[in-house]
Amino acid sequence: MFYLRYLRAELLRRRGRTILTLLGLAVGVALVIAISSLSKGLDDAQSATLDPLAGIGTDLTVTRTAQDTGGGGPFGGGGRDVVEANRAVVTDLSKLGKAGTQFVHDFFLPGTQLTFTEAQAKEIAAVEGVAAVSAGLTLQAVHQEGKVPKIVASIQTGGDRIDVNRAITPPTAAEQEAIRACLAKLGVELPNQGQGRGQAGPGGGLGGQGGERAANPRAFAQCLPERMQRFRATITTPRETLQQVLDPPQTDIKSESYTIGGVELGDPSMGLVTSAQVSAGRFLKGGREALVSATYAARKSLKVGSELDLNGTTFTVVGLVNPPLGGQGVDVYLPLARLQTLSDQKGLVNVVLVRATDSASVGAVEQRIETAYAQAEVASAKQVAGRISGSLVDAANLSHSLGLALSIVADVAAFLLAALLALSSVGKRVRELGTLKALGWTQRKVVRQVAAESLAQGVLGGVLGVVLGVGVALLVGLFGPTLTASSTTGGGSLLGVEQAARTTSEAVSLTAPVGVAILLAGFGLAVVGGLLAGAAGALRAARLRPADALRTVE
Amino acid sequence: MSQYELTGVGKAFNRGPLVINALQSVDLSIEPGQFVALEGPSGSGKTTLLQLLGALDRPSSGHVLFEGRNLAELRDGELAELRLRSFGFVFQQFNLIPTLTALENVQAKLAPAGYSTVGSRQRAEGMLAEVGLADRAGHLPSHLSGGEQQRVAIARALSVEPRVVLADEPTGNLDTGTGAEIVEILATLAAERGATVIVATHDTGLAGRAPRRIAMRDGRLVATDADAQTVGLAAVSSPRS
Repeated sequence: MFYLRYLRAELLRRRGRTILTLLGLAVGVALVIAISSLSKGLDDAQSATLDPLAGIGTDLTVTRTAQDTGGGGPFGGGGRDVVEANRAVVTDLSKLGKAGTQFVHDFFLPGTQLTFTEAQAKEIAAVEGVAAVSAGLTLQAVHQEGKVPKIVASIQTGGDRIDVNRAITPPTAAEQEAIRACLAKLGVELPNQGQGRGQAGPGGGLGGQGGERAANPRAFAQCLPERMQRFRATITTPRETLQQVLDPPQTDIKSESYTIGGVELGDPSMGLVTSAQVSAGRFLKGGREALVSATYAARKSLKVGSELDLNGTTFTVVGLVNPPLGGQGVDVYLPLARLQTLSDQKGLVNVVLVRATDSASVGAVEQRIETAYAQAEVASAKQVAGRISGSLVDAANLSHSLGLALSIVADVAAFLLAALLALSSVGKRVRELGTLKALGWTQRKVVRQVAAESLAQGVLGGVLGVVLGVGVALLVGLFGPTLTASSTTGGGSLLGVEQAARTTSEAVSLTAPVGVAILLAGFGLAVVGGLLAGAAGALRAARLRPADALRTVE
Repeated sequence: MSQYELTGVGKAFNRGPLVINALQSVDLSIEPGQFVALEGPSGSGKTTLLQLLGALDRPSSGHVLFEGRNLAELRDGELAELRLRSFGFVFQQFNLIPTLTALENVQAKLAPAGYSTVGSRQRAEGMLAEVGLADRAGHLPSHLSGGEQQRVAIARALSVEPRVVLADEPTGNLDTGTGAEIVEILATLAAERGATVIVATHDTGLAGRAPRRIAMRDGRLVATDADAQTVGLAAVSSPRS
């Protein structure tokens, strides 16, 4: 058909213009696809990593933090406070053995996450909207090994004399009478009250007897009431001996901090660690088994089958796990009961993982727990996500704030490019189009011909752009940067002991998944842009009177 | 009835604040089969008059009747139909479509006229053979000489057997010898078909071959050679006829 041959001839024989148009369209479409895919990739990565609690089958985590005020419920009132909970910090190293002997010991401290009884933890299960709970114990562990330090000072305290001066209550009327009677008995003559007043001054009462007291002090002292005779007391503090470690690291003791968690083994899909997190080996079954985080395993050269010695108990590493970002990720996981025994925390836990009956009720459950337990700190997935930082978040934030704008800019650019190229193409052909009209082509035929050319260019440019865009997306997948998401918890100082700041990082390879929708959008944009612009340009040219079109100088 | 009847035809163009009267009060009638030369210097209104006659433009005033129909009253579609089937144009710049071969350029006129692909091809090949370009049918305009390009344009103009051929300075871009050849071909083929030929030119040599010469100046007809009408095309019959 002539019209198709004409179309083909226009595309092939104006090769330079066609290539320029196709490239322009392709770049625009590729930009749209690449930006949209990158944006989607970032969104995917972010939503995957920023939903850490979902990764451990949990909607909420409940912990108890140190607070001055007591409250009701399992977490309130009296009980163990931070000092008590971390008393092990002041353990006398000399108890580990004789000075100079080698020792290896792991200290376990709950840190700021205070413990409560398992029974109390289970009470949360009764809160309305809670489907299941799983208790756990996460502890800050300090592994120390070296020689028992020699310098253990014995400090004797007490034995000090303390002088006490106290104001004595003046003698009562009865006591005055007794004194008077006593003095009379000893032959000391007392003047009448009226006589003494003038000489004795303002003292009054017994004070008026100053003259007699000087004359016969012994008799006076003898006649004082019992309580006045001994008002000068000497207090001696009780003796006690305190042993105190002075400057413990002065030996070759090496300290290393890590974190350890006790896992309830009831439901492997929910807990401090879940079977889904196991990257090598298997999940805990019980007994003397341990799971270690992949990063800790790498640091300590541990693998599945390795043995861990904790205060004399040997645990076998049965699996490696990837800790959920922002979740309760620790270095070593043991069955809960084992850790409780090891750390002398029998029956105690310090984190409760809560699963709500459905996602819609998470907020309500969170509120109920917070209301019921004043000292409970309830963290939802959203809050955990808020603690996450790193290049992934930066990139995702950038994508959120700029991605849309960039996408729109790319869209508009692609559209404008298609439109401008089509318009320019038509603009240069006004005389040709005028000739066609002179030959008898109707306006409709002229517009149809030019629009068909634009459509063909749009389709070809769109296809090229899709190929280019997908190529870019694939390259991003192959060579794209690795973004990290980090979550830092803990940190700070507790009773002089530095609490290790727990930073969980997750590296996410940036990918740019190309969805059909994205492809269609980019492709459609080129086609529609080219078509509309081509048609508009052709219409403009075709509306010109043939005489005017023929007058156009090319 | 005359083929063309023009009465009081004027055409004005607005050029910014200026109004240029390209044609003023033109009265003219042309009979079918005539060979008419519109003579005059540049800017005398030849091309404008030719465009009004070819339904490429509408007059600002007056009436242009073609075969009894007032062109000013026809709709765009009807004018396109007239241009397609009744008129053939030959331009000074040849106005070939640069991306189409000689053959395809002729087909560009035949396709909208309803010729099938094969039909239009055969017809176009026949026309190119008539203008002596059978062996150049597959060449692009850029590979053809000026004379060859104008011959393609003539083949294209005559391919649908139009009743009128309108040529605007057909030899303007050609040397004298080639120009004479082109005029010869145009006149001969039109005569064979009984088509009216109206040529706008300032080439007195070419105008001299026309039995009827119409001189123009400043948008007005200066003189019409009424006597020449009776002479018809016999006066310029070519050796081929």
